[in-house]
Amino acid sequence: MEILKNLFELDTVDKTCSQATCEKWDSMGQLNLVVELETEFDVTLEPEEIGEMKSFNDIIRILKTKVA
Amino acid sequence: MKYFVFRNNTIERFFPKEYTFSGYDDISCIPKDVDGYVWFYQLPVKYDQEILCSEIRGYAQKLLFVLTQVDAAKPFIILTMDEGGYAAPFTSGIELMSAVSDYNAVLVQAEGEHNNVKLLDIREFTRQYPVNEVFDWRFWFISQMGMNPKLSKPFSDWFARKLDEIALKRKKCLVLDLDNTLWGGVLGEDGIEGIKLGGDYPGKAFHYWQEALLELSKSGVILTVCSKNNEADVLEAWEKNPFMVLKKENFATWRINWTDKATNIKELADELNIGLDSLVFVDDNPTERELIKQVLPMVEVPEFPAQPYELPVFFKEIVEKYFRVYSVTSEDKKKTEQYKANAQRAQAQRSFVDFDAFLKSLDIQITIEAANEFNVPRIAQMTQKTNQFNLTTKRYTDADIRSFIQEGWKIWCISVADKFGDNGITGCIMVNGDTIDTFLLSCRILGKGIEIAFIKKILSLLKENGVKSVNAEFIPTAKNAQVKDFYDRCGFSCVAEDADGKRSYALELKNADLNIKEYYHINLK
Repeated sequence: MEILKNLFELDTVDKTCSQATCEKWDSMGQLNLVVELETEFDVTLEPEEIGEMKSFNDIIRILKTKVA
Repeated sequence: MKYFVFRNNTIERFFPKEYTFSGYDDISCIPKDVDGYVWFYQLPVKYDQEILCSEIRGYAQKLLFVLTQVDAAKPFIILTMDEGGYAAPFTSGIELMSAVSDYNAVLVQAEGEHNNVKLLDIREFTRQYPVNEVFDWRFWFISQMGMNPKLSKPFSDWFARKLDEIALKRKKCLVLDLDNTLWGGVLGEDGIEGIKLGGDYPGKAFHYWQEALLELSKSGVILTVCSKNNEADVLEAWEKNPFMVLKKENFATWRINWTDKATNIKELADELNIGLDSLVFVDDNPTERELIKQVLPMVEVPEFPAQPYELPVFFKEIVEKYFRVYSVTSEDKKKTEQYKANAQRAQAQRSFVDFDAFLKSLDIQITIEAANEFNVPRIAQMTQKTNQFNLTTKRYTDADIRSFIQEGWKIWCISVADKFGDNGITGCIMVNGDTIDTFLLSCRILGKGIEIAFIKKILSLLKENGVKSVNAEFIPTAKNAQVKDFYDRCGFSCVAEDADGKRSYALELKNADLNIKEYYHINLK
């Protein structure tokens, strides 16, 4: 959540945050997001997973499969 | 600073937020409203060697075209191409190597031909990492990144440091200890032949270290010594030890005595007429280092390596951190000579009672030259480094000065020679319309009335050009108190002074006394 907030320069962030609602979440933002998530959670995301990651809920779902 | 980056891959993440970027390998649009440009083309990913090589050669042509299109007064930073940019088959081919080295050679040439171009070698950054860490195929395929985005933090730090170096911020003088610093062992105990210098390790390591320091002094860094020793012993060792690389004549001055080092270092700075914040102190003794850190916090005090074999790495670190410059000007190279000639001059001064007679005997030759391609880097360097005789202390880069010239400013620099030597370009004046924006002189040439002769000559030139009255100002800093009354002494009237001590001056040229003493031989170029 903090990552999304800093990355996309948002004032507030909640679970409904997604690529559709967030102006700065473009392809460059997506790349930055991947790097931050990989560093923070020590995981390697596959390109397919990165493609699917379009909202906060997607991120949580994918990270759960990784960390578990 | 807003820079515009020409690139062929995704690299946004490596640069500050305010930078803007071209399309991929797109030079069709060259924005004008930016502070400068960066050219960063990476090794393209292709398997067909012939296409790959011609693409790389094409990049060089594009760069040369772009250089003709941009404002030559704006900085243009070029990064080299790393031929080992990614680990793919064929990339070690001789054809590819030569295409990349041709490309890089064009970059080197561009730097030589354009004053605003500065070249940075990306390999200096990438070789710190294994190839597989520099390039990650996953990020290539998902985002066309030619460099792993996880290196963005170290890359931005490296890039920022390089930009600082380009802006000419560096130290002037190295203060060196002797025992266990310039040689192994203690001279007072081990004797001239007993100290470890040359021969086998560790003497060999100290020998290399002295050679490295000698090269550094050739680039204009002043070397001095501050050591607790008997001066006579050291003078003898300098003369008699066959492995001694740095001898008496390589040091501008020294303090070899038993006084505390803080006092000595203050004296060294005074004698050389440079600020304490221009000094770097190197000593193996942690107690001495701590003393200087506490008493003289403006002096840089790097940690000294525990083992002599670490000296080459230590040397590289101090050069990178304190002394790195982009173009070493010919002025830099002569600097130690000049500081020494000044010491001789000071001695000659003592034997004359009449100061005018002394000045006359010096046979002072002053050359005033308008700013041109060759002296702009030196003028920029002086605005960055001159603290004491500097009326407004405005810091400018090469690019700033070139744009002032384009705007019609009058900029001159001064070279001074006398019978003891040539001081080279040691001062400048920058006039915007009828206002003196910058007036500065290096401390090396002070004490001979040259500042007065210089400004009077410039005022005469302005008068001939139809200027009726001249404005000027004094902006006080921690270091320029000596010029507080300079304009008063030149006959200007102070028209305003604000609470911070900033003064504004004006002078009617019609009534001004612009006579210059006949013993200054002025040559106008």
